[in-house]
Amino acid sequence: MHIPDGFLDLWIAVVCAALAGGTLVVAARRADGELTDTTAPVLGIVAAGLFAAQMLNWPIPGGTSAHFVGGAFAAILLGPHLGALCVATVVTIQALVFGDGGLVVLGANVLNMAVIEVYVGYGLYRLLAGHNEFVAAFVAGWLGITAGAVAAALQLGASSAFAYELVTTVSIMGVGHLLLGLIEGGITAVVYRYVADARPDLFPTATTTEVAA
Amino acid sequence: MSVASDAWDRSWVRRSLLAIAAIVAASPLFAWAAGRVGYAEPLENAAERTGAMAHEVTYNPGLLPDYAIPGLDPLVGTFVSAVVGTALTLVVATAIARLLAD
Repeated sequence: MHIPDGFLDLWIAVVCAALAGGTLVVAARRADGELTDTTAPVLGIVAAGLFAAQMLNWPIPGGTSAHFVGGAFAAILLGPHLGALCVATVVTIQALVFGDGGLVVLGANVLNMAVIEVYVGYGLYRLLAGHNEFVAAFVAGWLGITAGAVAAALQLGASSAFAYELVTTVSIMGVGHLLLGLIEGGITAVVYRYVADARPDLFPTATTTEVAA
Repeated sequence: MSVASDAWDRSWVRRSLLAIAAIVAASPLFAWAAGRVGYAEPLENAAERTGAMAHEVTYNPGLLPDYAIPGLDPLVGTFVSAVVGTALTLVVATAIARLLAD
C-alpha cells in the first residue's frame, strides 16, 4: 500500500502531507505525559515489532502477497496518538532507508497507514470492545487497513497518473484489501489476545472487566 | 512492589526482543516463499490497469533499495534489511518516546 513517487498529483500530496503533519503534531501533544521513562521502551518495541512484521510477506496462492501493517494493533496497544506516532516512524524509515514509498508522497503514506488506519481501527475497537474484545481487535485490523487502502485509492484515483479512474482504483484496492485485511484482522486479534493475557496492565484503553477474561 | 514490577518489565522487554529477533530471522524464508507465488499488491494491479506504471519515478532509492543490497543475493539483502530496519526503528521510536516522556 506504499505509494511511490510520481503516482499522486502534487496538490494531493501536499494536502495529504498537511493533514498527516497536523495530525501528528496534535498526536504528539496529546501523547505528551502518557509516557514515562519506564514505559518509553514499549513504544520502541512496538515500532520495531511492526517493522519486523512488515518484512514478512505472507504468500497467497494465486499471485498475491500481503503483510501485516499493524496500525490498528498499535492503536489498541498504545492508544491512538502514540499508535499514530509509532506507525509514522515505521513508514518514514521505510521510505527514507528502503525506498518503500516515495518522498513527495510520504505525507500521503503516513496519512493512510499511520493516521487513517490507526484512528479508524481504534474507533472500531472502542465501539465493539464492550461486546467482545477479540472480535473488536479483529474488526479494527480488518476494516482499519481497508479504510487506509480506500483512502489511498481515492488519492490515486483523483490523480492524473491513474487517468482519474477513481472507480477502478477504489474497486481494485478496496476489494483487494477487504480480502487481504482478513489476515490483518486475524493477526491483530491473536497477537492482541496474547499480549493482553501477558500484560493486562499495558492496556490503558481496554475496559478493565474484559481484560480479565 | 516496584522492584518486582521492574524485573517483570525487563523480562517482558527481553522476551519481546527475542520474538522480534525470531521474526527477523524468518524474513528471508517469507521473502523466498512470496517470490515463489509471485508478488503483486492491489496498488500495483490498479497501477497496471490504469497505465500509471509509466509514471512511477524514484527520487530516493534509499540506502537499501527495496530491502536489498545491490549485487548481493536478494535473501541476504532481505535479512540485512530486516536487521538494520528493525534496529533503526527501535532506536528512533525509543528516542521519540523519551522526548515525549520528558
